[in-house]
Amino acid sequence: MESMLTLLWPEIALFITTCVVMILGQSKFKDTRDLCPGLAAIGLIVSGFLAWYFRGVTSDAVLPHLPYYGKLVICGVGLMLLMLVAGSADRELEADAAKGKPFEPIRSTRGEFYSFVLFSLTGLMLCTSANDLILLFLALELTSLPTYVMVSISTNRNRSMEAGVKYFFLGALGAAIFLYGFAMIYGGTGTTNFEDISRTVAAQAAGGGINPLVILGVVLSLVGLGFKIASVPMHFYTPDVYQGSSSSVAGFLAFVPKAAGFFAILSICGLVGWSHGVTEQSLPEGPRVLLWVVAALTMTLGNVLAIMQRSVKRILAYSSIAHSGYMLVGVIAGPGPSGADFERNGIAAVLFYLVSYGVMTIGAFAVLACLEKKRSDGSLDEVDDIDDLRGLARTRPVLGWTMVLSSMGLLGLPPLLGFLGKLPLFTAGIGAKEIILVLVLGINSAIAAYYYLRLAYTCFIESPETTPNAPKVVEAPFAARRWAGVISMLCVVGLAVFGSWLGNLAEIGATYRPPKYVQPAAAVVPVSAPTP
Amino acid sequence: MTDLINQLPLVLGMAGDAAHASGGHAAGAHAGPVAGQLPSWVLAMPFLPLLACVLCGLCAVFKVRTKLPAVITVVSLAAAFVVALLAYQATMSGGAGAGQYAVVKAWDWINFQFGSQSTQSVVANFAFYIDALTCLWMLFVCGLGAVIALYASEYMSHDVGPGYTRFFVAFNLFVFSMACLVMGDNLLLLFLGWEGVGLCSYLLIGYFYTKPAAVAAGKKAFIVNRIGDVGLSMGIMATFVVFGTVEYTKLFELIAAGKTGAGQDLATHWSVWVIPALLTVGAFGKSAQLFFYVWLPDAMEGPTPVSALIHAATMVTAGVFLIARVYPLYTADPSLTVLTVVAWAGAITALWAATIEMAIFDIKRVMGYSTISQLGFMFAGLGLLTPVGAAFHTFTHAFFKATLFLGVGAVMHGFGGQLDLRRMSGVMWMKGFGLVGIAMLIGSINLSGVPFTAGYFSKDMILAAGFATPGTMIGGAQWVGWILLLTAGMTAYYTFRTYLRVYVGPKEFVPGDDPDLVDMGRHPKGTTLDEHHAHHGHGHGHGHGHDHGHSHGGVADRRLAHRQDFDPTTEEFDPHPPGLAMKAAIAIVMVLSVLAAGLYFYKGLPGGEHGGWVGGVVHASQVSGSQAVVDKAHGGTFFGQDPHKVMYYVSALIGFIGILIAAFLHGPKGWQGLFIGNRQKCDVAPRADRLANLFGPLTKLARNKYYVDEIYDALIVKQLWLTSHILHWFDKWLVDGLVNLFGLMPRGAGSIARKQQTGVLHEYALRMALGVALVLAIVIVVKVGGVR
Repeated sequence: MESMLTLLWPEIALFITTCVVMILGQSKFKDTRDLCPGLAAIGLIVSGFLAWYFRGVTSDAVLPHLPYYGKLVICGVGLMLLMLVAGSADRELEADAAKGKPFEPIRSTRGEFYSFVLFSLTGLMLCTSANDLILLFLALELTSLPTYVMVSISTNRNRSMEAGVKYFFLGALGAAIFLYGFAMIYGGTGTTNFEDISRTVAAQAAGGGINPLVILGVVLSLVGLGFKIASVPMHFYTPDVYQGSSSSVAGFLAFVPKAAGFFAILSICGLVGWSHGVTEQSLPEGPRVLLWVVAALTMTLGNVLAIMQRSVKRILAYSSIAHSGYMLVGVIAGPGPSGADFERNGIAAVLFYLVSYGVMTIGAFAVLACLEKKRSDGSLDEVDDIDDLRGLARTRPVLGWTMVLSSMGLLGLPPLLGFLGKLPLFTAGIGAKEIILVLVLGINSAIAAYYYLRLAYTCFIESPETTPNAPKVVEAPFAARRWAGVISMLCVVGLAVFGSWLGNLAEIGATYRPPKYVQPAAAVVPVSAPTP
Repeated sequence: MTDLINQLPLVLGMAGDAAHASGGHAAGAHAGPVAGQLPSWVLAMPFLPLLACVLCGLCAVFKVRTKLPAVITVVSLAAAFVVALLAYQATMSGGAGAGQYAVVKAWDWINFQFGSQSTQSVVANFAFYIDALTCLWMLFVCGLGAVIALYASEYMSHDVGPGYTRFFVAFNLFVFSMACLVMGDNLLLLFLGWEGVGLCSYLLIGYFYTKPAAVAAGKKAFIVNRIGDVGLSMGIMATFVVFGTVEYTKLFELIAAGKTGAGQDLATHWSVWVIPALLTVGAFGKSAQLFFYVWLPDAMEGPTPVSALIHAATMVTAGVFLIARVYPLYTADPSLTVLTVVAWAGAITALWAATIEMAIFDIKRVMGYSTISQLGFMFAGLGLLTPVGAAFHTFTHAFFKATLFLGVGAVMHGFGGQLDLRRMSGVMWMKGFGLVGIAMLIGSINLSGVPFTAGYFSKDMILAAGFATPGTMIGGAQWVGWILLLTAGMTAYYTFRTYLRVYVGPKEFVPGDDPDLVDMGRHPKGTTLDEHHAHHGHGHGHGHGHDHGHSHGGVADRRLAHRQDFDPTTEEFDPHPPGLAMKAAIAIVMVLSVLAAGLYFYKGLPGGEHGGWVGGVVHASQVSGSQAVVDKAHGGTFFGQDPHKVMYYVSALIGFIGILIAAFLHGPKGWQGLFIGNRQKCDVAPRADRLANLFGPLTKLARNKYYVDEIYDALIVKQLWLTSHILHWFDKWLVDGLVNLFGLMPRGAGSIARKQQTGVLHEYALRMALGVALVLAIVIVVKVGGVR
């Protein structure tokens, strides 16, 4: 219990911050209200420090160092996300307040907004710490529930409401499916504790075979968790929800639920372990086939659908789908032979790629969030059409270059971060003898080049819109978003050159401790002495 | 990356111990003492120009509108020259034995193993091989670089601003590349420098990028050079294949031992003539020999300082340097096949270019063809087994040809870009042009080979070699000698044709049509230029502050701006004499080309009995690996006399005959035409014109440069154009079609899948549920009964 508590210190710190932020957001005084984002950032930094301080504490799941890695990167990327979403809430309300209207706490959503961000991140951290199916479920829901509201309140337009409602209902459906799976795992093993489950499964595998109920449970859980990572067949909501929410919240959605989903998928797969098959290094056949099919379909569908889009948010949504497919290759590959290095360790590859993807996609969404379109009636609307980005590298070099580098990074162009992240997925896949899947991955990377290059081309080579009636693109008054973009751009280049520490960290996070089958004492049958 | 950072102190020359200097000598007959280790400061020779290049780049970034880039360039190149002097001192002080050298490494550049054995590696470091030959070349590259940069600081001043900065960035980059070419300790670094100078040449020829002729000339130079580079790169590859190394140190050891990398006998190996032949193709391209010469005359479109430095003195001698650098490789072939070809190619090119020069009227083009012709002499010298003569002629030619170019540049600058020798006369007697006239005279007597000039001595060595080298070694060496002798006479003629037409005689001129240059001398009738400038506030004093309205816009802007053409009915043009910087530069090169003659009499170095100082320097360099062969190249006679002695008189006689013919045909009446000329106007030389009519079609042929460009156009360019169009069609419809077909597949798949994105909540839910069912079904079907 004590060790569980030390493991949870980062979550506790973040939770306390959340509560403080929620109250401060309702303050009558603007200065106090403005403290919210800063305080949230401090909470994240403290929480990251705690994660680092208690780095020796391991969870008793099969991936004992996952909490350490997970929480560190959650705090890092979380800070960038915070910069990205800062200012989203209460923009009109604050404008009114500045004009002298009295502040109406009932209209304000600021307190909720920042605390939802932190709640969601807390849930994400809990996903890494979870050592029990119930805790995992609660953590997943804690991650997702705030995002449903964030989508709805991200803009004051109806389509945000629509997106929020869609997201909520479909999310509930997804949750129902994986909860059903969890229940089946419980049914097949008689326990909800990860350590106990994995030991039981190992025992079942050693004697005659895993209970089909467990396999079915794992398969259902993985399909259901596919909602979080937006994989086929749970991907339908993604483009609609991304397009309906503001760009900054869409950026949040692209990382946080996906990370939660992958942490959960790794934990669930860890329950049955990568110790089956011919090489004794792969998942049981059922989950493996499932993930294989889902990965191939997800990346292909994501990429081919992205080709057709003109809306940048939809392109990035489909790109998000495709990237989930890429990462699933790492999940299938598994940790490889014990003591495998970074290139051969699929879990490390997934963990590394998760961060890379987060960093790169935040850059792309930050550019969108920094730009607004002035419509003829004077109201502002976020840019979304790809034409709005034309010539961006010339008119606004910082944003333009951020977009170019982000899309090149997402494409996986050497020597940028995306390449460094994608390479271990390939090598781990090859190491696990999933050659066909790796081929699919390669073909998909080529298809993806079409729309990423189009993004880069639009920003970099095409000339800016000059038709007089075209809506004027202006910059949104959020300096923090620009900085989120700049940091992302620096990471896309910098982490590719000096990113080996992150790779080492991912390798630590991916430490795999296969469940040991301990033969129960009662089952020991004395071996009769050989007759002479 | 870390490698580079580790090497950084070394690049900056801070860590003396980091510089890895190694010494040694080639094994062989002329083994000298082991060279002293050279300290890392010699790295300043290449890196000072690079630093200047970066600084000029910063000037461009900060939009400097002053002459700062020129100051940076002159100072850094002068410093590099001092370093070259010190490096020469250090190299020669180590005991002055033959074949001594030092390798100073800047950092690891290419260094990898491709196999387990020690020989299976590719090593080409960013290291510099410093021997006497390197120092000789670097001395005139840096020295002339500094002087010509000084000249350019004024010559280019009508373009102060972005253009000026661009000029000096490329100028410095050129010197850096040239330093890599000359100093590199391996053929790959030489190749890097080779391409670098080619790039800078392209950039500087096309400096006036709004002028179509300049752009076309830049492209032509670049493309023709690429053809030569195919040969060079194949030669380097073949060297690696055969010798297993591209580093000179190892290469020379193997050649001296007469072995290939695999231990076979080099003299009978196929590569013994193939590699030199390939390298020679590269050398011909860069040095404009034989079929490759066509780019050099057009390169005269570049600013004159560029023509003087790059296209006369330094870059075009890279081919000579290449052959001299690996001369032992050329002499390793017992039949000396390639050197025979080089000798003949040089002689033919020299003659060919000389005939064109005698006919054309553009004085800058005359200098261009003259460079080709003189390069022909150098190649012939290499081919005739007198590398000393070739190196000496390169050295003296660098100075006197730079003098001539700078003089021509001053005239071009002063007369509104006028280059036609029929439109100017008596320039020397015009106000402010006296020094130019004297410089041109000095340059001309050098080029013509008037006795006791530097050009006379250096050319004589090559001419004498033509008769001294036995025909058994170099086939037809005698004939090469005769061709060169004839060419020497023609050289004297065309040189003084230009001089006597333009610089002396009655004072007359028509201004040229270069708008920037015309602006400097035009003024309304009835005023003087000084009054006009004073009146219009054109603060002159060699800032050339003409046309202040848009003098900061650079050439491109101003050319596009509306400008009034020079109108002879209302305006007058005064020649615009060179200013202090240009005069100083002209004076320096003029004095240097006079002093260069003295080097012939400096016998202080071993081996100096042939070719004086340069002879000693070449003797001390790696060329000494060929000494055994070179020493055999004696015994031929010139009508029974020792050619080395009698040639002094013969070539002097031939030169004088050439000058007298020039004076007779083109010289002005009176003493200026040596009392035999009868020209009275600038555009009419009665005897010459009559003679030209007499030759009729032949003159026309030469004047049109034998239609070589047109023939190339029809034979090569047009054919390539046609082929490229056919291939383009093929690519567009067949290859692209196939690619597009594959590209359409994902699009098609996308448009089908897109129909599923209806945006309706319950349809999504249904599809998700169906999807779950489907996936489960797949898992169960695939895995039926196999749950383990």
